[in-house]
Amino acid sequence: MLRIRSPQDLGAGLVFIAIGVAGVYFGQDLTYGSSSRMGPGYFPIILSYLTIMMGLIIGGRGFALDGPPIQRIPLRPISFVILAILAFGFLIEQIGLALTTVAVIFIASAARKQFNVKETVVLAIVVAALCVGVFIYGLSQPMPAWWGR
Amino acid sequence: MDAFSNLATGFAAAASFQNLGFALIGCLLGTLIGVLPGIGPIPTIAMLLPITFGLDPLSSLIMLAGIYYGAQYGGSTTSILVNMPGEASSVVTCMDGYQMARKGRAGAALSVAALGSFFAGCVGTIFIAAFGPPLAALAQQFNSPDYFSLMLLGLLMAVVLAHGSVIKAIAMVIVGLLFGLVGTDVNSGAVRYTFGVSELWDGIDFLPMVIGMFGIVEIIRNLEEKEVDRTAISTKFRDLWPSASEFAQSWKPVLRGTAVGSILGILPGGGAVLAAFAAYTVEKKVAKDPSRFGKGAIEGVAGPESANNAAAQTSFIPLLTLGLPSNPIMALMMGAMMIQGIQPGAAVMTSRPDLFWGMVASMWIGNLMLVVINLPMIGIWVKLLSIPYRYLYPAILMFCVIGVYGTNANAVMMILTAVFAVFGYIMVRFGCEPAPMVLGFLLGPLMEENLRRSLVLSRGDPMIFLQRPISLTLLICALGLLLVIVLPNVRKSREIAFQEGG
Repeated sequence: MLRIRSPQDLGAGLVFIAIGVAGVYFGQDLTYGSSSRMGPGYFPIILSYLTIMMGLIIGGRGFALDGPPIQRIPLRPISFVILAILAFGFLIEQIGLALTTVAVIFIASAARKQFNVKETVVLAIVVAALCVGVFIYGLSQPMPAWWGR
Repeated sequence: MDAFSNLATGFAAAASFQNLGFALIGCLLGTLIGVLPGIGPIPTIAMLLPITFGLDPLSSLIMLAGIYYGAQYGGSTTSILVNMPGEASSVVTCMDGYQMARKGRAGAALSVAALGSFFAGCVGTIFIAAFGPPLAALAQQFNSPDYFSLMLLGLLMAVVLAHGSVIKAIAMVIVGLLFGLVGTDVNSGAVRYTFGVSELWDGIDFLPMVIGMFGIVEIIRNLEEKEVDRTAISTKFRDLWPSASEFAQSWKPVLRGTAVGSILGILPGGGAVLAAFAAYTVEKKVAKDPSRFGKGAIEGVAGPESANNAAAQTSFIPLLTLGLPSNPIMALMMGAMMIQGIQPGAAVMTSRPDLFWGMVASMWIGNLMLVVINLPMIGIWVKLLSIPYRYLYPAILMFCVIGVYGTNANAVMMILTAVFAVFGYIMVRFGCEPAPMVLGFLLGPLMEENLRRSLVLSRGDPMIFLQRPISLTLLICALGLLLVIVLPNVRKSREIAFQEGG
C-alpha cells in the first residue's frame, strides 16, 4: 500500500491535476491549429497538459518524500470573511454604501470568537462615515451612498 | 551629459506641486501600512489602483511607488520597537534591532535604519538612471522570439528566488498563465473558459484576483493567529543620534547592504525581502565576531535595512525597461500602467521620457521625505501601533472590497474575489505561495502572443528560439538555472539563506 507521507504535496498535486483536466476538457472545442497557425486552443491545451504533468510530479512526491502535515483549517474566520465579501456584492446596489459598510463590518467582526457588540457598533459607524466620506464624496467612486440612488 | 538632462526633465516633472503631493501621500501611506502589521504594500496598492484611474499617469505611479518604498521604512520601525515585523522585508531587522532597543539603543537603531535606507534609496535611484537607458536600448532590439525567451527566463528566476518550494511555484506559474488566457482570444475572437459568464469575456479582472489572493487571504491568516500584545519600547527624539562608534560600525554594512540590495533587486524574483535576508547573511559572514549577531549588533540592522530599500528601488528596472514584472508589487505597478493605457517596457522611455525620469526623480524626493516622516515623527507611528487588529481588519476588508467594486461595479467581481480568496487560502495550506501565479497571470497573454508571432515568423519551426542569438542566450541562462535548481547542494544553500533568521 502507498502511504501518504506529505499531505500538502498530495493535496497541491490533486488541485493541479484537477485544473489541468478542466483546462483540457473545457478547451476541447477550441481550435488547436498548428504551430505556424496557432489556434485559440493551442497555448491553453499545452499549458493544461503541463499543469497535469506538474500535478502528477508534485502529487507523486506526496508518496515519496516526507513533508509537513496540512494545518487544521479553522472554519470560522474564512467563512465569515467570505460571507462579508459576498454580502457587500449583494447589498451595495440595494441599500447603498453606508448601510452596506455596517453590515460588512458586523459580519467581518463575527469572524473572531470574542465578538463585542458595543465595540462593533462604534467601529461600524466610524468606518461607514469614513468610507462614504472618502470614497463617495472624496473620490467619487461609482456606488450609491444610500438606497434608491 | 545626457543622463543629466534626462534627470533634470524628471525632476521638473516630479517637483510639480501635484506630484510632490502625491509622493507625500504615497510615502505617508507606505509608512503607515509598513508600521501596521497585517497589511502590506500589496493589498494597499491593489486597493488604491481604482482610485488612480482618474489621476494623471505620472502622479498615480509616483504615489504607488511611494507606498512600496515607504513601507520599507515603516516596517523597520515596528521591527525595532516591538519585535514584530510590519513588513516581510523587515523580518531580519527584528533580530538585532529589537535587541538594540532592549539595551536602550532603539533611537540609534531607528536612525541607522532610516539613514541607511536613505543612502540606499539614493544609490538605487542612480542605478535606475544609469542602467535604465542601456537596458531599454537593448530591449529595443528584441523580437518576438527574444521576448518569449525573456519571459520564460524571468518567470523561472522569479520562481527560484522566491520563497517556498520551487516545483510548486513552477506549477503555480503555469496555472497563472492558463488563468491569464481566460476570455476572448485577441487573434481569433474565440471565447475561452468563460463558462457563459459575460463578465469574463475581457479576461479575469486583475483586482479581484490580487485582492482575493493577497489581501483577503492575509486577513484570514491573521485571524487564525492569536492576537499578540504590541507594546513598544519608548524612544525620545533626542536619543535618535547614533554614537560615534555606532556610526563607525555601520557605514560599511550600509555600503555592502546597498550593493547586495541593488543587484538582487534587478533580478526577477528578487526584491526587498530576499535582499534583506541576503544582506544579513553577508554581514554575519564578514563580521569578526559573528556571535554578536542576534544580540543587538548594529551591523544586523544597517545591512538589511539598506538592502531592502535599495532592492525596492532597483526592482523597478526590469519593469520599466523590459516590461517584465519581477515580483507581485511590480506586477501591480504593471497593472496600474496598463489601466492608464501604457504598455510597460522599453518604449516608455522613448515615448514618455517624462514618465520614466519623473518616476526616478520622485523616488529620490520620496526617500528624502521618508527620512523626515520617519525620524522626527516616530512618536506618532508608535501610537498607531497600539490600535488592535480587531479594529483594523474589518476596515481593511471594507477598503479591499470597495477597491474591487470601484474598478468594476458588478456583483460578479465580489464573487470572483471570494473564489480567489478561497483558492488562494487552500493553496497556501498546501504550501503553494500565490505570488508566482500572479506573475504568470499577467504574462500569460503576452507569452501567447509572442509565441504565436515567433512561430508565424518561422512557419511553425520551434528552432527559431535557438537561431536568434538573444533568444538563445536567454534560453541557455534559463536552462542553466534549471540545472542549478536540480543540483542538491545549491538547493540546500538556498534553503539555508531563507532560514537565516526566518
